Amino acid sequence: MKDKHIQHLYRRIGFGILPTDLEYLSGKSRKEIVEDVFEASNTISTLEVDTSEIKDIFSGMMSEKLDPQTRMKIQKISRQKQIELNAAWIERLSSSKEILREKMTLFWANHFVCEDNFVNYIQQFNNTLRKYALGDFKTFVNAISKEAAMTKYLNTKQNRKKTPNENFARELMELFTLGEGHYTESDIKESAKAFTGYSHNVRGEFVFRKWAHDYGDKTFFGKTGNFNGEDIIDIILEEQQCAIYICSKLYRYFVNDSINEKHINELAEVFYKDYNIENVMRHMLLADWFYDDENIGNKIKSPIEFLVGIKTMVPTDFKKKKQLIHIQRLLGQTLLDPPNVAGWKGGRNWIDSNTIVLRLKLPSLLLNGAYISKIKEGQEDKQITMKKETFKKKYGKHFSTEPNWTYFSKQFKNIDVAAMEQYILACPISKDAKTYINSLEKVSKQEYCVQLMSLPEYQMC
Amino acid sequence: MDRRKFLKQSSLASSLFFVPSFVKAFEDVARNTLGYKRLVIIQLSGGNDGLNTIVPFRNDIYYKERPTLNIAKKDVIKLNDEFGLNPSLTPLKRLYDQGYLSIINNVGYPNPIRSHFRSMDIWQTASDADTFSQSGWIGRYLDTYGKHPYTAIEVDESLSLAMKGENVNAIATKDPRAFHNLSKDPYFKSIHKHQNDPHLSEHNLGYLYKSMIAAQSSAKYIYETSSTVSTVQEYPQNKFGKQLKTTAQFINSGLDTKVFYTALNGFDTHANQLNKQNRLLKQYADGVEAFVKDLKDNGTFKDTLILTFSEFGRRVKQNASAGTDHGTANNVFVIGEHLKKQGFYNNAPNLNNLDDNGDLKFEIDFRTIYATVLDKWLEVDDKKVLNKSFSQLDFI
Repeated sequence: MKDKHIQHLYRRIGFGILPTDLEYLSGKSRKEIVEDVFEASNTISTLEVDTSEIKDIFSGMMSEKLDPQTRMKIQKISRQKQIELNAAWIERLSSSKEILREKMTLFWANHFVCEDNFVNYIQQFNNTLRKYALGDFKTFVNAISKEAAMTKYLNTKQNRKKTPNENFARELMELFTLGEGHYTESDIKESAKAFTGYSHNVRGEFVFRKWAHDYGDKTFFGKTGNFNGEDIIDIILEEQQCAIYICSKLYRYFVNDSINEKHINELAEVFYKDYNIENVMRHMLLADWFYDDENIGNKIKSPIEFLVGIKTMVPTDFKKKKQLIHIQRLLGQTLLDPPNVAGWKGGRNWIDSNTIVLRLKLPSLLLNGAYISKIKEGQEDKQITMKKETFKKKYGKHFSTEPNWTYFSKQFKNIDVAAMEQYILACPISKDAKTYINSLEKVSKQEYCVQLMSLPEYQMC
Repeated sequence: MDRRKFLKQSSLASSLFFVPSFVKAFEDVARNTLGYKRLVIIQLSGGNDGLNTIVPFRNDIYYKERPTLNIAKKDVIKLNDEFGLNPSLTPLKRLYDQGYLSIINNVGYPNPIRSHFRSMDIWQTASDADTFSQSGWIGRYLDTYGKHPYTAIEVDESLSLAMKGENVNAIATKDPRAFHNLSKDPYFKSIHKHQNDPHLSEHNLGYLYKSMIAAQSSAKYIYETSSTVSTVQEYPQNKFGKQLKTTAQFINSGLDTKVFYTALNGFDTHANQLNKQNRLLKQYADGVEAFVKDLKDNGTFKDTLILTFSEFGRRVKQNASAGTDHGTANNVFVIGEHLKKQGFYNNAPNLNNLDDNGDLKFEIDFRTIYATVLDKWLEVDDKKVLNKSFSQLDFI
């Protein structure tokens, strides 16, 4: 497999690949490399921050009902803990060995979109995404339908025989399985009845409230019977459209913003057989078209791909967790805080006047005291240390970060400065930028890395 | 010399030398009729309690349902025989007396949702309660009618969904200097010296370059234009006051921006509501009064319309913690000089006729207000922006 294709693979299933790791894989076959990717994601490492404070409150409770004071107390603890969980997730994304599992978890978090102000519920939800990220889709959908955070978020816990709430049933079909236009309003009404009684206890465990469940007949997709929630999911997955819908989303996320119907049908055929996520992903990553030139370096990175990508090249420690959240907010994607159940739109929608300006400036802000070297070729950047200090005082003060350039230097030790471009950028540099960059002195690998990361080209993956 | 006179004279002066007279004539038409009408949106986030904002001080149900959370009749600033303002809204009363305030009651939407996130979404996207839209109503206005990203500005650090279109997003800035500084590194200018390829946006990388170039020029334009005026008017020393001060500076400098978006947070008063809400309402009213005065002094108030909303009102009955829980319909304030119906636009809520949750029933769909503002104030096709036809109201 060509180096170029290994890099492409790792940019899509992860956040890029460092020179030494690439060297290790170089020369292996596609099959070997892809199997390694799955092998590395065979394990599941849950993501957890310490929520014992909340657990203690639960264990000390006499009844199942939360009084307003306790609820407020838990929410207060949660606000702090959500920041920790967010930071831990970012850290996980840039350091995990289960690369594909983590990238898939990020994908599913924008598919089964959910949020909650109890950190223990959302942490549990997040680990459910991780657990099934490469597993059986049917089990996955059922697990999601029974998650405490989801029964809260889409009101399934308010869905009772006497007062049905259709929210979950609607989104189950519109966003989670089939896509808009592939069901009727009556299908929604009928399936909502099947999910009546879904709820959770205070510890976040699924509870089925028999008294609230509608045991009558439901007519759904032309079938009539006393269906429960699991039956409904079975019937939905019998629709080929479900495989097409999920595969289209996977394709847009991992391959190309624009759909190629031939490729989608190919994936959907594989997926429909057993709804095994790992199998369909394996098919995708082994397919020749995945490595077509038109599918390389053509996607705009999400804010998280951008941020974690920087951290992957130059490990960076954020001294203040709140700043890390703040950056995500400014970039338009805060983990654990989606805009609504439809999630982030992605693609070009990530980019506006504010985010493009910040994206271009952020690498220098985080890694180099806001400094981008502009010394002409053949000249020395004499006062570079002094200039950088002035810059840092003036512009860099907003971010308290510690980039590990020593690690970077080790990684790039055997790489010629002139060859760095292909390790840092996913697409060729456009003509003007190339001319300009070539007119500049390559002061050091560090300065050159910052220059490359400050190009619009660095936004592509 | 006032800014407009200056503009007229300078454009007249320039026309004498080299601008053909018909161009000059067209400019004047453009300025006067298409001109400067601006919309300022104020979002009260968290769900403002409308019943303690516009108080039904003769209503027994109100006092019965809120034994420790009512505004005593003697404290209410009376507007008519039955309704009055929360005592923290004294400055708003002064606007009311001048005929600058229109209060639209019972505004909401069918099948109300009592979740903050979701209800705010609905207000910002103008969608039905059971559909999810990924673009906001101002964003879609930009898609069709925005000439530049800065046609709409959110005076904050990041953009609300309301300001994101299908293709165009507005600009967020609370500090034009910082935004300009961030964008003006000469490095970013040098990498696109000759980028004038008309096909730029056909591929994603080209789109990034195009966005970068537009952002640089927007940041420069906003900073340079807004720094031509300095503010004399005093504003309250809080975040909301600062937002309005910046907004007024944008408006008074003649920035070519049609919509401004601001927000005041903290209205989610589940416990010990009285003091919290009074403090926030005071911030609101003090800020708005200073803002109106600033605009009037600069001759820009007559072309500005201020719309205030919250994602929902609160339950009629108070809860056990001297607060109120999430409710439904609420009042919307429209402030401006050209109001057709000053004071109360329609009847206040009927507390005898509540829904199953004990919440107010909505009478006016908020999207009819949007439609009216789009059509009559911003003078665009409201159906294109709202993707649906709504009947219009008669307040402007």
